[in-house]
Amino acid sequence: MSFFTDYLADPSRQARLLEMAVEHLVLVGASVGVAVLLGLALGITAHRVDWLAPAILNTASIFLTIPSLALFALLIPLVGIGATPAWVALVMYSLLPIVRNTVSGLNSVDQAVVESAKGMGMGGTTRLLRIELPNAWPVVLAGVRVATLLVVGIAAIAALVGGPGLGQEIYQNGIRRIGSPGALNALLGGTVMIVLLALLLDLLYLAIGRLTIPRGIRE
Amino acid sequence: MSDDMIQLEELTKRFPGQAEPAVDRLTMRVPRGEIVVFVGPSGCGKTTSLKMINRIIEPTSGHIIIDGEDVTDVDPDELRRGIGYVIQQIGLFPHVTISDNVATVPRLLGWDKDRITARTDELLEIVGLDPDLYRDRYPKELSGGQRQRVGVARALAADPPVLLMDEPFGAIDPITRTRLQNEFLRLQEELKKTIVFVTHDIDEAIKMGDRIAILREQSHIAQFATPEEILTQPANEFVEDFVGSGATLKRLKLSRVRDVDWLTDCPTGRLDDSPEVLRQRLADSDWTALLVLDDRDRPVRWLRAPDFHHPAREVARMGLPAVAFVRPQATLSDALEEMLVGSAGVAIVIDGQGVYQGIMDVDVIIASIQAMRDATNEFYRAAKLVDPTTGLAGS
Repeated sequence: MSFFTDYLADPSRQARLLEMAVEHLVLVGASVGVAVLLGLALGITAHRVDWLAPAILNTASIFLTIPSLALFALLIPLVGIGATPAWVALVMYSLLPIVRNTVSGLNSVDQAVVESAKGMGMGGTTRLLRIELPNAWPVVLAGVRVATLLVVGIAAIAALVGGPGLGQEIYQNGIRRIGSPGALNALLGGTVMIVLLALLLDLLYLAIGRLTIPRGIRE
Repeated sequence: MSDDMIQLEELTKRFPGQAEPAVDRLTMRVPRGEIVVFVGPSGCGKTTSLKMINRIIEPTSGHIIIDGEDVTDVDPDELRRGIGYVIQQIGLFPHVTISDNVATVPRLLGWDKDRITARTDELLEIVGLDPDLYRDRYPKELSGGQRQRVGVARALAADPPVLLMDEPFGAIDPITRTRLQNEFLRLQEELKKTIVFVTHDIDEAIKMGDRIAILREQSHIAQFATPEEILTQPANEFVEDFVGSGATLKRLKLSRVRDVDWLTDCPTGRLDDSPEVLRQRLADSDWTALLVLDDRDRPVRWLRAPDFHHPAREVARMGLPAVAFVRPQATLSDALEEMLVGSAGVAIVIDGQGVYQGIMDVDVIIASIQAMRDATNEFYRAAKLVDPTTGLAGS
């Protein structure tokens, strides 16, 4: 069976692929969204409280080293199957790039800028929101982008624990039926869609950068 | 209302893990409306002392009194909104525009929008940046000198009575630095802020300071006095060494051309005078050269006796072009430099329109140095009240 003339030409399959792509996007979006909030909070804490920084960064690093196959499975006894373990695992994987870039972004803000803000009577919270975060933002955003592209790929494994997304096509129609006609096309179809999604998201981050990075610090 | 805007009482800073305090019981009064310069070798604690005044560095002990109020324990943010702060690296906020930078403190103080806009434009004007051109630019689009102007404008935004300046012109090229120093001094004549200014450069201290505190290790005051006193009556060897061997030359930066009696008897002539008349006029004077002025009294050429041996038809083609001009507000140091550059050994004093006023030569400068020295010696002989530690005449 040909990939283009048979597999992709089938209208019902097209609809199904699109549906799974949307599920995939929602899963990635929900994970990265939570990871951004959590990662910013942890990154700011690590930046402000020196002695907590190693603990926070090392924990996030360890999350990323756990093999994804194992992590998804390990979460089943805790949160059951379906979307939840997938979502929890993806949040854990997204944390490191976001936390690390938040810390290094905040550290990279010119100390003279911070001191002059302080010297003009800008309190700690105002300084963080009005001076430090806007100047750290390009680095933070780069971390979020890396996290997103990372979990777009890993999210495929969610299908193993009954999760949503394009992994279902790869796993259920591809891997589990390997050898049967159409299995290879399913593997290929799911993969191509994931790569396309990744490219699309990359473009999205380019646009977000254009819109949110202040003009004064744009490259 | 006390005459002292800032009083530092036994101000001390000990950094953790250091045996010796960085600043040890610094006590000092800064008179209202004056520029006091902290100057000293690196590591003497001058910057730490400055940063304790707005409590960027919290003092370990001692008191800071500003305008009669003890501010050692008040809310530091409130305190800092009332003190302008300029640092060497400037620290403009790179992500916002020039006008947003200048508007920082007024916004923190909750001014309304129209008042802030009017004030930022006014300030840009004051520091010599056209608001229409610079208001919406970003710091990265400005040169170093322009950025420092914005830094000064930002510090002045809410019209604070006190300004702290930590080597504000330190990172700027020498030519721009001189210009900014001059502009700032002119500005200060109107603003009359109380300013504490830190530098490691004694020349800058002499130029900028109404008073200079020469600090040695741990911010111990080696001498606290006017620039004149420091140059003519160094309190001790440390001050003498720090001021350096060029003290006399430095004193030339304190006096201005308008303060000395320049020469007014130099023979002059007009472009349309005949060479014969001019030759006679020069011969009748004690001078070796005659200055030719144009129809608006601006100097154009020097004529010496040998120039008349082969007179040209027009005076404008005889002799040498007039060079080395100084204005009355120039320092004697500037005048001396002009004389040396001009190679004629004299400088021509002109006013703002270029109109001839008189002539300065080296003898005029030497006479004024002598007069300065005599005046200070006379003062101290009469007073006999020199405090040996500070060099200040006691009260």
